Amino acid sequence: MRLKKKSWLTLLSVAGVSMSLLAGCGNGSSGENATAAAEGSGAAASGEPTSFNFYFTGSQNVKDLWDSLEPMFEEQHPEIDVKMVYIPSGTGAEPTYDRIMAAKQAGKGSGGIDLYEDSITTVAQGTKDGVWTQLSDSDIPNLSKVDANVMKDVDNYAIPYRSSAVVLAYDSSKISNPPTMLDELIDWIKANPEQFAYNDPSTGGSGSSFVQTIVYKDLPEEDIHNSDPSVMEKWEAGFNTLKEIGPFTYGEGIYPKKNQGTLDLLMNGEVSLIPAWSDMVLQQLNEGLLPDSIKMQQITPGFNGGPTYLMVNQESDKKEAVNTFLDFVLSPEAQAVVVDKMNGFPGIELSNMSQDMQDKFAGVSEGFRTFNIGDLGTEINKRWQSDVAAQ
Amino acid sequence: MSKEAKQSILGLAMVLPSFAILLIVVIIPIVQSFVMSLSNGEGGYDLSRYAYLFTDKGMRSNIIFTLRITAITCVLVLLVSYSLAIYMRFNQGPVVDLIRKTYMIPLFIPGVIATYGLINLLGNHGWLARMLEVIGVELPRIIFDEKGIIIANLWFNIPFTTMLLSSALSAIPSSVIESAKDVGVGRFTLFLKFILPLSYKTFMVAVTFVFMGVIGSFTAPFLIGANSPQMLGVSMQQVFSVFQEREQAAAIAFFSFLLCSVLGAFYIRSMTVEEKGKV
Repeated sequence: MRLKKKSWLTLLSVAGVSMSLLAGCGNGSSGENATAAAEGSGAAASGEPTSFNFYFTGSQNVKDLWDSLEPMFEEQHPEIDVKMVYIPSGTGAEPTYDRIMAAKQAGKGSGGIDLYEDSITTVAQGTKDGVWTQLSDSDIPNLSKVDANVMKDVDNYAIPYRSSAVVLAYDSSKISNPPTMLDELIDWIKANPEQFAYNDPSTGGSGSSFVQTIVYKDLPEEDIHNSDPSVMEKWEAGFNTLKEIGPFTYGEGIYPKKNQGTLDLLMNGEVSLIPAWSDMVLQQLNEGLLPDSIKMQQITPGFNGGPTYLMVNQESDKKEAVNTFLDFVLSPEAQAVVVDKMNGFPGIELSNMSQDMQDKFAGVSEGFRTFNIGDLGTEINKRWQSDVAAQ
Repeated sequence: MSKEAKQSILGLAMVLPSFAILLIVVIIPIVQSFVMSLSNGEGGYDLSRYAYLFTDKGMRSNIIFTLRITAITCVLVLLVSYSLAIYMRFNQGPVVDLIRKTYMIPLFIPGVIATYGLINLLGNHGWLARMLEVIGVELPRIIFDEKGIIIANLWFNIPFTTMLLSSALSAIPSSVIESAKDVGVGRFTLFLKFILPLSYKTFMVAVTFVFMGVIGSFTAPFLIGANSPQMLGVSMQQVFSVFQEREQAAAIAFFSFLLCSVLGAFYIRSMTVEEKGKV
């Protein structure tokens, strides 16, 4: 009898545990439903501020940026409530895009995502899948301040609201004359074995920028705005160069993971020259993580500078509020925050910024190029993995 | 209702929740990824994704690398854990107490943190290198090398394996050991004829756990490993989210599932043979 009682108890606890497990699985979707319901009621009651959901992803500095921009905006526009959803980088940026796609395919509208921030890859993907809205000056007056060529690159489907460039970061206590031309850089790498490192291009933009810059070294300038697969045939020489410098890089061909991986090597003195994002270097210099002897140098032709884009979901029913927000983001005062908080380049043309700002970027902003090669970026990473990493 | 019927219903009811979870989180995804891995991207279904695993030079070396790391780790983990467990079972004293109190600590340290700790300790200019520099010893490359992955795997797997084996050894009655000793059995024979057979089952469980844990490991190989060859887990992530070739990633996933299921089948067979032997 006692035994039987015990087995019932076990059964109950087993059932209880599995129930709670299953409930845990279901949690995500029920949470969404709750926000969706809350939204619906918010829209129904008149007089309440219009709210829209803004999903963004990135490192902590991106979150800090929006945390300071959002209150500024809501102070000017109390009628609009921006609901920010921050997704730390590497944890769920792809699912966010998948959610937008899934909602569109299922005919469920915006899927609760009105505005989204991501890199060119997602812009290209979404343009192909037809999920972004084409934007125009008439809805967003400040859009006219953005370089028209950059807007043409993305067919007006996205706003490059800030950018940062990849530069060479070097230890000035070891190098007095850093290379300034791309060919000089290649010679320098060969002359100073194991003093240069770039990160695995599939794990971070600075390594990928280095790889792309080398691959497109001797190709005509228009090819960096061409996402047609036919360009792939011209990559051979570039990949040969990469294979050639492999044995001269750190550890005779070790490519650390992520942008921070190479910065760590520079920090502890294992290498003395790396390609790195300007904003990461500036920020870590400010925080004292990098020694003061670290300096930056842009080369000619420049590395890839990457704008970060804002995209409006075509299915969004709050486009008016979103456009007001975008207009604010492109205003000189908001752009000044971008520069201060992120050490990034402004998204609007420099002539619209204050004189101070213009001076700060004198000579640097011309230094970077915008690569827009769409899906070919993935192809480069794939080929790099099989040709260069596994050589 | 007869007593037997009641009991069998109870039995089924107890199995059902765990079976449901197994079905939802294991069986259905495996079937799905198998179907996905068969599509060749042009609408048809064939084995081209699997052929790629063995024809592509990089992929092939990834597979060999993964198997080698897994085999080396399994042998080392079991050697260390088994000796630790035997030492703790048959000895007393402050050293045993110390080991018993501390050997589980790695279980409570999150994987990423432990991995970064190892990078700082064993890296090119890490603490160990700096300490050894004083006495003029130069460390070989550990981080960004297979040695680093193996060391990290040892760190992650030894505590749990030792725990498993210790409990198996403590289940061996002391009377058996003592009576064997009384009739003059040597240490080596004692181990071979008594301890090993009596803990064999747990030993198999431990092999299975270590094998599956290592073959699917991600964090340490991702952060410590070289760019090529990669462990299958790292390669799968790259193919899936960087190259966005979901079908290819599914093929790698299904292949590593096959590798694990070979060991799983072996393990289940040896278990059932033993059960039958008992009956």
